[in-house]
Amino acid sequence: MKIDFNELTQRLQTLKANPYKIYPVTTPHTGKIVEFKVKEGMKVTGPTGKWLEKPGTPLFILEREKNLKVIRSIYNGIVENIRIELLNKFVEAQETILEIKHTLTQEEIISEILLSTLFVIKAPETARYILNPEIAKKIEKEGLGKVIVKEGTELLIMTFMKRETPIYLTEKGTFVLYRIYFKPFEIVQSNAPLIGLCPVEDLPYLERLIQKIKDEWPT
Amino acid sequence: MKDRVLIANRGEIALRIMEACELLHLDYVALYTKEDEESLHVQRAPKKYRISDYRDMNDILAVADEAKCTAIHPGYGFLSENYRFARRVVKRERPLIWIGPSWEAIRDLGNKLYMKKVAHELGIPVIPGTINPLYNEIEAEFKAEELLEEVQAQGFHEVTFLIKAVAGGGGMGIEEVKNLEEIRPVFRKIRAYAKRLFGEEGVIIEVKIPKFQHLEVQILGSKKGEYVHFGTRNCTIQSPFRQKRIELAPGFCSRFNYEFDPQKVEREIIEYSLKLAKHFHYDSVGTFEWLVTPEGKYYLMEVNTRIQVENEISAKISFIRDTQVNLLKEQIRIALGDGLGYTQKDITFKGMSLEFRLIAEDTKRGFIPLSGTIQRFSYAPKPWLTLRTHVPQDKPYTIPTQFDPNLALAIIYAETFEDLLERSKAFLEELVIEGKTPKGEPLVTNIEFLKENLKYVYQFL
Repeated sequence: MKIDFNELTQRLQTLKANPYKIYPVTTPHTGKIVEFKVKEGMKVTGPTGKWLEKPGTPLFILEREKNLKVIRSIYNGIVENIRIELLNKFVEAQETILEIKHTLTQEEIISEILLSTLFVIKAPETARYILNPEIAKKIEKEGLGKVIVKEGTELLIMTFMKRETPIYLTEKGTFVLYRIYFKPFEIVQSNAPLIGLCPVEDLPYLERLIQKIKDEWPT
Repeated sequence: MKDRVLIANRGEIALRIMEACELLHLDYVALYTKEDEESLHVQRAPKKYRISDYRDMNDILAVADEAKCTAIHPGYGFLSENYRFARRVVKRERPLIWIGPSWEAIRDLGNKLYMKKVAHELGIPVIPGTINPLYNEIEAEFKAEELLEEVQAQGFHEVTFLIKAVAGGGGMGIEEVKNLEEIRPVFRKIRAYAKRLFGEEGVIIEVKIPKFQHLEVQILGSKKGEYVHFGTRNCTIQSPFRQKRIELAPGFCSRFNYEFDPQKVEREIIEYSLKLAKHFHYDSVGTFEWLVTPEGKYYLMEVNTRIQVENEISAKISFIRDTQVNLLKEQIRIALGDGLGYTQKDITFKGMSLEFRLIAEDTKRGFIPLSGTIQRFSYAPKPWLTLRTHVPQDKPYTIPTQFDPNLALAIIYAETFEDLLERSKAFLEELVIEGKTPKGEPLVTNIEFLKENLKYVYQFL
């Protein structure tokens, strides 16, 4: 693996010029919006704590079949484009209610850049995915960048049209599972990245690359 | 107040319910999820709401209230046989009409074991097997030994067992076992699968009927205690996972030779089905599924407490005072409180009908469901052909991956068996379904499988 440091610097500069990502916040289900808990320009946070046990900032309240549901932020950022006209209205599922302008963190920048460096396993179908439970357990214990996988290892399980299909590593060699790009049980679009692997022999290069990003993009 | 029907389903059945509502001059409201935006059932409905999931009871009821609906049609699949939902629909603060049988009937008949027990007590033949769910593998092995002795005494040879999850269905959570030694490992596997998928671990053991035809009786009951039947259907041609692929009405065909009197068997399974329906005060459309052996023995398998996919082949050959019946229309009308307005004597049968289920599946590789984009879908319209589909024919359609990749139903009518077969072949020959998988390969469908299997219609398989 060769790292083109010029190209890297260029990419970092492009990202620095616009270090944001806009996340739309949508209704998980139907219901009436009975209250907005935020105003435009307000700073909100996603879940915090070691186990992400502290929930994010409340954004709005949805009432359905007499039950109130507080919709909370899952990102850190600034509230934008609140559709205030929807207050006290019945809304459908997956309706965008507001947006959160999120400033990319060092970790997210690293993930983003690694996408073009790592050997990425992409979603073969628009489907739901989970990591192979054994690998998930190992990652929980040892962390990312430690777990070794080889050709033939069952990496993921795809739930698709009511069937579960295992996804195996078909590439020759020994790899380290370096990044996870999906959330378990959420729908992943076909061809979106699922996990990023690094050949064991390339690990030193990758660590240099990450160090370089860290130097250029302090927390 | 005029009734307004909420259609709590997707795809072609949602479209057929819309059509039935229009025939009855009823308002209706459709539901859809984000993945289904391109479906014709969404395009066609003048009033529709996006919900999170077709199984989300709260979303469905919230929309019912918001859209001022008075009745819910659950279609098939999803919540259609969920008695808790049916009960909630009729018992909530703002009650709605449930277009289906009473929740009690759904509960009792949907519980296969209880149904089997009651049927057995009423003298209705059921498939030899355990009556109570098993949770313990040693007990399972013991019961299997008992069962083996019992059926060997009845003249069964080379007995195969079916290990089934009580909560399973549609071919899910079922496995075959030939030797008693295999009972325990397979039992463990099915129990684990059932726990994971259905949250209910109970398992039953049945004897596999080696050769049979799958017949079913179409029943209609009203809230006024009236009962009629619309004859039988033959659904023997299925995928290896026991999902129906070709269905025919009526259930037996006079062009074939049987070792038994088919008219007598048909009469008896209809009588037994009506007997069970009456026992449960069944007040909607319902299907009673039977296995018939080459010797003319028959066993009640299960009851489907909903409208079925293949209802229309019965409708095509059933006439009420010379007018062709529409079972969805009858189901809705009766749920809204109408009496039948006719008796069995007014119903006559004429001709034969066949249904193909057109599905994006690779029948050569374990019937795996396929996703992809349909780019071309064309067929030759014929007076004897009814095509039911939610797939648009004027633009590409991407098959959502959350559901079964059913593309269309083709319902063919003819007066004679020879014509029916000829028309069915002609339809498949002219049908074109082309598309691409996400990998860019040509999308395969089950058309070839249907062509090859036409030779097995009305055979014991």
